Amino acid sequence: MPQDSSRDPQDVGYGWPTILAIGVHVLIVAFSLISLPTRTEEPDTTSIVQATFVSTETFTDQAQQASEQQAALQAGAQAEEPPPEPAPEPPAPQEDTQAQAEAAARAEAEAQAAQERERALEEAQAEAQRREQEAERQAEEEAAQARAREEEAQRLAEERAAEEQARVEAEAEQQRLREEQARQEQEAEAERQREEEARREREAQEQRQREAEAARQREAEARAAAEAEAAMQRQLEGEAAAAAANAQQAQQAANNFSNIVQRAVEQAWIIPGGSGDSMRAVISVRLGPSGEVLLANIVTSSGNSAFDQSAVQAVEQAAPFRELLQLTPEQQRYIRQNPMTFNFSPGGVR
Amino acid sequence: MNDNTMSIPHLIMSASTVVQLVMLLLVVGSILSWVVIFQRSIAVRRAKREYSQFEESFWSGVDLNELYREIPADDPRHGAEHIFQSGFREFNRLMPKTRNADTILEGVQRSMRVAWSREEDRLTQHLTFLATVASASPYIGLFGTVWGIMGSFQSLSMSQQATLATVAPWIAEALIATAMGLFAAIPAVIFYNRLSNDVGRLLGKYEDFAEEFHAILHRNLQGRDSSKSAG
Repeated sequence: MPQDSSRDPQDVGYGWPTILAIGVHVLIVAFSLISLPTRTEEPDTTSIVQATFVSTETFTDQAQQASEQQAALQAGAQAEEPPPEPAPEPPAPQEDTQAQAEAAARAEAEAQAAQERERALEEAQAEAQRREQEAERQAEEEAAQARAREEEAQRLAEERAAEEQARVEAEAEQQRLREEQARQEQEAEAERQREEEARREREAQEQRQREAEAARQREAEARAAAEAEAAMQRQLEGEAAAAAANAQQAQQAANNFSNIVQRAVEQAWIIPGGSGDSMRAVISVRLGPSGEVLLANIVTSSGNSAFDQSAVQAVEQAAPFRELLQLTPEQQRYIRQNPMTFNFSPGGVR
Repeated sequence: MNDNTMSIPHLIMSASTVVQLVMLLLVVGSILSWVVIFQRSIAVRRAKREYSQFEESFWSGVDLNELYREIPADDPRHGAEHIFQSGFREFNRLMPKTRNADTILEGVQRSMRVAWSREEDRLTQHLTFLATVASASPYIGLFGTVWGIMGSFQSLSMSQQATLATVAPWIAEALIATAMGLFAAIPAVIFYNRLSNDVGRLLGKYEDFAEEFHAILHRNLQGRDSSKSAG
């Protein structure tokens, strides 16, 4: 049937399956990307840490130190706190008290004057009221009015007198204060003069002392210079002795080291067959900084090239002499500067 | 070795060309296999539903001529319906031409076998592709990994220091190829087994139906022969 081979309408299409398949893949990729950060965190925790030892202080030590520092700071703050309290007290000498007193007096006077003025105003108002009341009663009580006027005049006069008295009192107080100030200034000047005199005396004494001290110091310096020279000489002698001792030590170490090397070379040496007992080969060996052989020279040949070669090979076989690194730098230098010589003979290496 | 250089997209992008081609091939294979999985799953489910519907109407006692007439001739049917249609058409065509019952039944059987074979071909369509992806993609992924590790060792021989940090990214990016191969193969294997099992059972049902239909026709012809000989 031709319909079966061609695309028939009842068969399932490929549109939806394709979309679903791509959707599945996109979902999986998205999940892999989302779960990635957690996966990459694991190697960080298990990876090898190349830590360098910076200090012996642990974090707990640091924390303790921090707490101690805080405590110290707090103590310092507490110690610093008290000074500001007494500080304002010292700069309160006579001048300030004067100014304060003046200001207080002025303020009092002003306050009094103001009070009186207020009182006068109030009374004037009251009088105005009374005058109005009296105007009503004018016709009835003219005589009383006249009396009242007189009384008012009297009162006004009394008030004016009181005001003048207050003013006079305030002026008198000010004068008194001024006089006190002048007196205090005079006293202060006298004190200053006295202090200057004392200072001059003290300076003279100090100068005398200084001169004496300078003389003493000069003597001491001369003595110290002499001592230092002596010490220098002694130190130089000591250094020379130490250098000699070091050289001796280096030599001893070199001997020890060459013994070790000798043993190693002896173990590595394979004596070729057919070598006579009288054969002797001298090999000089130069070492590199890490104990490797830089050069192995045949100083004296045995006459048999195979024998000589076997000796050189033995040195090269035994080669990296790591024991060199265990010595001190000076000893290493000594060994490297003086090439070692080995005496190869069938009896052994010497 | 921070997480940026070890992230999977970064590793894929920094892989060698051959490994990238292998990965592309595996991704395409995986997508196509999933297309086949969805398409076949939908098709098999629809075929099962159609078969159960047809079976119900066939065994409901309706007249076979009517059932045949209900199916439009120009609209091709699938499954058991298709088998029934081709078998009954052949029966109707042969009936006026020959009186021999064996010849008629043989013709009907042959045409039904052809229809069944077409159905089998239709149902197992693309399942071979699924089987190919399932069996081949692990090997393709393994090839990508081997190739990547080969390249990593070649470049390792040129570098002076061979630490784990220098080898690790290479091996990781090479192993992604194997992971992708397995990722493509595992669903393909699972769904290939499932779908081939479903299709096999469905084809078995079609075969059973063809046999039953053949038995019905045979009974009919026997009845006619006996009526003819009696009359």
